[in-house]
Amino acid sequence: MKRYLKLVHMEVHRFRYLMLFLMGVILIFQVGAIISVLSRELSQRWDDPTYNGVRSPFVPEGMLSFTWVISNTNFWFAVPMLISVAVIGLYVFFVWYREWLGRSTFIYRLLMLPGARCQIYLAKLTAILIFVFSLVSYQLLLLPLQKLLFQMMVPAEWRVDSYWPEVIHANRALDLLIPRNIEQFLSIYGLGIMAVLIIFTGILLERSYRRIGILYGLLYVVGNAIVALYLPDLLGLGLPGTYLYPDEIVGLVVGVCLLLLVLSVVFGFRLLANKITV
Amino acid sequence: MIKVENVHKRYGLRKILNGVSFTAEKGQITCLIGINGAGKSSLLHAIMGLTPIHGGHIAIDGQPLGTAGYERIAFVPDHLTMPPGMRINEAMRFMEDFYKGWNMARANDLLRFFGLESTERLGNMSKGTAAKFSLMLGLGQDTDYILMDEPFSGIDLFSREKITEVFSSELIEGRGVLFTTHEIAEMERLMDKAVLIQDGKIIRSFDCEAVRYQEGKSVLDVMREVYQS
Repeated sequence: MKRYLKLVHMEVHRFRYLMLFLMGVILIFQVGAIISVLSRELSQRWDDPTYNGVRSPFVPEGMLSFTWVISNTNFWFAVPMLISVAVIGLYVFFVWYREWLGRSTFIYRLLMLPGARCQIYLAKLTAILIFVFSLVSYQLLLLPLQKLLFQMMVPAEWRVDSYWPEVIHANRALDLLIPRNIEQFLSIYGLGIMAVLIIFTGILLERSYRRIGILYGLLYVVGNAIVALYLPDLLGLGLPGTYLYPDEIVGLVVGVCLLLLVLSVVFGFRLLANKITV
Repeated sequence: MIKVENVHKRYGLRKILNGVSFTAEKGQITCLIGINGAGKSSLLHAIMGLTPIHGGHIAIDGQPLGTAGYERIAFVPDHLTMPPGMRINEAMRFMEDFYKGWNMARANDLLRFFGLESTERLGNMSKGTAAKFSLMLGLGQDTDYILMDEPFSGIDLFSREKITEVFSSELIEGRGVLFTTHEIAEMERLMDKAVLIQDGKIIRSFDCEAVRYQEGKSVLDVMREVYQS
């Protein structure tokens, strides 16, 4: 356990600058967007006495709310999130391949560490999860600060209060990022974690069997994706007249996804223990 | 004793090791000699469990290596095995964190012996400095065996002299040393046993002292006989 935690600490230490960079990008894009939208609106109000204010389902006429600001910055909230998703997507590959590439091949040292090799796998997975959930937490922390900025910029007589669920729901990017129930959490983060595990196993297949391993890895990833995403269609369960209730179909898909997840982890452990090549 | 028995290894259809068998004793320096591509590095990787084998058996003191075995056997490859962004002192702390047998006092002695700067970044090292650093990491562990892959490859004369000094010092006394090389000039007088490998097969294995005193030949003479016949 101690070795696993040390490995996790090392992995986190290695991506700290990347995470700080993404946090900076998120801050600049979102705060910039809020300032820009509010400045435009406020200057219009100061400059044009006949201006009646925004028309929006989120605010009474002539007033401004934080929800309105957030709903008007959809694009600028989505851009840094998409950048973060792309970076984390690439990092899932980089977290393994960097150990083999370059003048210094750290994979030698990692494989020669005393203790079970599955700790390397788990440490890398934990690092990815820490990376993702740190950025989500950071976003959650940013929202109150952004609300404070809104309150500082907009005079009290033009403001109406907003509720957090309505703020999150008003922005499509935030709505996706912050799930409102366990089903939504599982469908976003559960599938994401499963995808990471399947890709990890695909990478380990490639690293174990090299040239032919590229084919094995691709087949493994594509095969799992087809099973996980199209299982009801493959079994004809989505068709009308099927004898299973929708909840049962969802349960079946969740069960199969869990099975694929466990198989990917076990397969990945075995590859790392017995087949991997430096 | 490191015992390698009838080991087979292939990459795709190409056979890299073809029924290799030999032993390396504790307290002795054993040298695996062969030209580039003979299978020396693959054999060390196989012994260290860094690549799977496709037949045969490898045992360290009668046991398969296993992950706990990395406390008993150290491997010094011909390149760095730590992230290039690390500094020497960070790498030493990493070793201390993960290996029970890491001997920090000895590692610091080695640091001074090799003239290494503890704050130097690994990515900025010359090949000779990197070789000395790698050797320091290997010798800093209290292990029964130490494996080295081409410790003299592509490094300057003075670094070679420093590394050669290690082989005749108390640093390796009592340990089993197995190293590969295709240049034996520096090491000929220090090695106890030579194992000649070609095209993935052991073509001769001999006690260096016996050959010297009984046959009046040097290791180089035997190599000439074997490779030029």
